[in-house]
Order: sequence, then C-alpha cells, then structure tokens
Amino acid sequence: MAAIAFLTIVAIRIEPQLLQLPFAGTRTLSAILSRWPETQMPGDWLRYPRFLQQVEQRTQAGDTIAVIIPNMKWNDGYSYAYYRASYFLPGRRVLPLLDPDDRAHMENFYAANYVIVWHRPTHPRLGEVVWLGEGGVLLHRK
Amino acid sequence: MIAAIVAILSMTVIGLCIALAIDPALRGFTLLGLAFLYGSGAIFIDMFLLAIAHVRWNLATVSIPLLAIVIVFALKRRPPSTVHRPPELHWLDIPTALSMLGFALFATAAPLWEWDFWAIWGLKARVFLGVGGIDWKFLESPWNAFTHPDYPLLVPLNFDFVALLNGGWSDRWLGLLSVAWAAALLLIIRGLAAEEFSVVPSALITLTVTGLAASRYPGLAEGPLIAFGASGLLFVRRALQSDDSAAWRHGAILLGLAASTKNEGLALLVAASIALAIVRWRALWRLWPSFAIAMPWLILRATHTLATDIASGSAMSRALYRLHFAGQILLYLAQHLYEPWFWIAIVAGLLIASSKWRRPDAFIMLATLIQLSFYIGSYFATPHDARWHVATSWPRLTDQIAIPVTYIVCITLAKYAAAMKDSPRAEARPLES
Repeated sequence: MAAIAFLTIVAIRIEPQLLQLPFAGTRTLSAILSRWPETQMPGDWLRYPRFLQQVEQRTQAGDTIAVIIPNMKWNDGYSYAYYRASYFLPGRRVLPLLDPDDRAHMENFYAANYVIVWHRPTHPRLGEVVWLGEGGVLLHRK
Repeated sequence: MIAAIVAILSMTVIGLCIALAIDPALRGFTLLGLAFLYGSGAIFIDMFLLAIAHVRWNLATVSIPLLAIVIVFALKRRPPSTVHRPPELHWLDIPTALSMLGFALFATAAPLWEWDFWAIWGLKARVFLGVGGIDWKFLESPWNAFTHPDYPLLVPLNFDFVALLNGGWSDRWLGLLSVAWAAALLLIIRGLAAEEFSVVPSALITLTVTGLAASRYPGLAEGPLIAFGASGLLFVRRALQSDDSAAWRHGAILLGLAASTKNEGLALLVAASIALAIVRWRALWRLWPSFAIAMPWLILRATHTLATDIASGSAMSRALYRLHFAGQILLYLAQHLYEPWFWIAIVAGLLIASSKWRRPDAFIMLATLIQLSFYIGSYFATPHDARWHVATSWPRLTDQIAIPVTYIVCITLAKYAAAMKDSPRAEARPLES
C-alpha cells in the first residue's frame, strides 16, 4: 500500500510538458510568449513596447509623463498601459490619469511635462507633438 | 545570455566559499545547491548594504565585498574533520535532468513575460539600476503602490547584479536565474534524500518535486521563495533529526533568505518559528540568523512607511466581516485547488504513513499547516475582492508549500514500504524518535 501510494505521488507529479520540451522545439512557444503581455488586454497593443522604447529615447531621466489611451478604464487596459509605461520608461516619473476606482486625477496631467497618447487623436491643447509613430504620439507640455 | 551565465557562476563560486565556511564537511549535490543559494543571498545582502550606505552600485563597488569573501575564505580554509560522501547518480535522475532542460527552454523562450515580472520584480530592478541603488522615492510614491513596495528585495537585486555584468538592462535571459534557483533546490533535495535513503527513492523523490521547484512563473519571486523556503524547512528538519549545528545554521540562513524574497517568506519564518516552538522550544534560538537577515528590511520598510495592501485599512474588521462567509470562502478554495489529485494523494500518503511520523516530520507538518492558515487568513483580510484574490494567487500559494510536505510523505512512504528504519549510511548518526 505504501509503495503504491509513493509511486502514485511520483506519477501524478511528473510533468510531461517539461519532459517533452527538449524534443519539441521552442519556436512556437517563443512566438507566443514574446507577445504575451501585449495580448492579455483587449485592444491592439502589439506595437506599444516599441512606441515606449521610442519615447524613452526622446525623453530624459527625471521627466514626468502622463498616459492617455482610447479606453480610459482601469481594468479595461489603462492599468496595463500605465504599468507597461512604468517598466519601459525607467527613471521617468510615469503618472496615471485615473486610479483603480476609475476616478480621474487631472492633477497628474498638469504635473506632467510630457504626455503619451496611444491610438487616439490628439488636440493641440494637450501639448506640442515631439514625435509620432508606432501607433502613438509623444507630446510636450509647456 | 553570457552575463546571466557569468552571474550564476559568480554566485556559485561566492556561495561555495560561504557554504564551506558554514559547513566544511559539505560535498556533492548539497554543496552545489547551497552554493548557488548562498551566492544569491550574498549578492542581495551586498547590494542592500551598499544601498543603505549610499554607495552607488557599479561592477567595482559590488564586486569588492564579494571578492573579499572569497579571499578571506581562501586564507582561512580549514580541512574538514569529516566529509559527507557525495551521492551516486542513477538513471532515474535522467528524467529530472530532462525536465530541468525543458524548464530552462521554457524560462528562456522569450524576454520574461509575466505581468508580475514587469509590474513588480523586473520594474523595481530596472528602476533601481537607473539610480544605482534602492530608489526610495519610487517605492514611497502612492502611484507606485501597484509594485508592492513592501515586498523584500532579494529578487530585484539579483536581477540588478546580472544587469551590472551585462552593462545595462536586458530581460532576455533573466529566466536563467529562475532555472538556477530551481536546480539548486533539486540538488539539495537529492543530497538530503540520499543521506536518509538509498539511491532509487532519492532519485524518485527529486523527480517528484521537480515540477514544483520549476515554478510556472519564471521571473517572479515564487521560484526563489520555494527554493529558499523548502530547503530551509528541510534543513531544520535535518537539524531536529541529528542536532547537527551546521544543519541549524543552514536552516536558519535559508529561512532568513526566504523572508528576504517575498512577504510569504516572512510568514514562513513566523510559521517555522511557531512550529519549532511547539516541537522543541529550547531550539528556537537557533533561528536567530533568520531574523537577523530579515530585520533590516522590516525596519526600513516601516521607517519609509511603504504601502502594504493586505494590512491596509482595517484588516481586522474585513476579516471579522468575512467570517460570516467562512463556509463559502473555504468551499471556493477547495473548488479552486490546483492539482487536486496530487493533494488527495498527499493526504492519503499522510494517513498511510501516520504511524511512522517522527518529531522532525511533525515540524514540517506544523509549519506547513500554520503557513496554510496564514494564506487562508489573508483571503479573509484582503482589501480586494476575495474571489479575485483567490483566483489570482491560490495556485501559486499552494505550490509554495508543497515541496517540504511532499518530501516527508514520500520519504516516509518509501521507508515504510522498505520496512526499514533508515538508510544503511544513516545508521551511525543519532536519530531522534
């Protein structure tokens, strides 16, 4: 009985996926995982990391950056856009324009010297266009 | 990739010196596994102390204290009075090695992709790298509460060590660290099991826990927490068996490093302390190194008033309110138990081998149960929606506590099945009953 119980635990815990991986190749897995963060939210985010990399090159450490996206709802993409911008823009102070309860925080807009606008038309009052591409716009606020 | 490999090798060399200074008799798998874990811990303590001393991180400032460790060890090394014989390899180790190769391919298939990597662990590492130390302003900002600023910093600081060697941030090969933490734990388990039992059950036990050590979340703190926590508990168990002072030191240091990895590690240290107080309260002082390692971060996070989500607001009133729904919450936990057949098999194994339990095994059982009660308690106190919190964390939490209990169930069942008290090589060692 003890031997059967022991071998049952061993059998249950063997991971066939890990055992197969050395023989299966990882090309498909790599393709899926490379896009993973950008495919977990509704909307088209595939170019968002490249956009943020361009923003990093055009801003300085210490700059304050606010984020605007099409759907300004925390759980419908805004948290993703804000967190992802924080990751790709180290040294900058990335500020959200709303909180997890979807309350607007316009003080963060006024505190920012740059605004990034993703997949959304811009207005001259938001700031001066510094760069446009990869699906987004970087605006400088005076 | 080269930077990550050099980092892992550097950690192993530094840790080798520390492990042998703590226990000159160490050899084989256990030595190699402990070497990486201690090296990882040494990098964390080194960079943490430099940050507190306002010394900016660069390759030179970080390396000098580490080189000092190696030189001091080389000068003061004493030959051991006894040497543990390295365990033999068996063909049953091949599936374990293949699984780890599979895990390495998985963990490095792409730049680290998990949400919690780029929103917590990797983000902090990247921000800290930019300022060459711990960015307290970033952690204190209420807008960065999503990064869990109160979490201990071992993992981000290990990532930063790789980045320093790389000459800049890259998340492409950081998954190799997750592989190294898992491999270190498996080496330790293989070595500890071989000291208690013959080669076939030892290899099978290691294979059994491989999927748990190779955490499904590379880049997160789950893997290192499992590695430090499980090995810490197993060394305390060994210390209770043999009263070996080196085992006490290993257990205490590893539990301290687990507490430096994640808040669950802090909870595990408390759980282990309570369990030890119940099983053998006079040995409780032996865990002092764990508290010495964990305390500086606790003091700093309190003085910087870093946000803690579970304890935010009135945690007690939330918990009392949810007590009315205790049945529903427990049922929900049972329904969402990850890999229920495995846990059923573990409980069945516990019952079958119940007559063979010894005090050291009771320590593991108690520590696991207390830790489990902390986890369940957190679902009562959480400021988030309890269902969401369960769905997003329960499988990870059950993975965290599975290895020590799996180890003792398997080893007891194997002993029971073999109808022998202990392995031939363990006969000379005084074992507590």
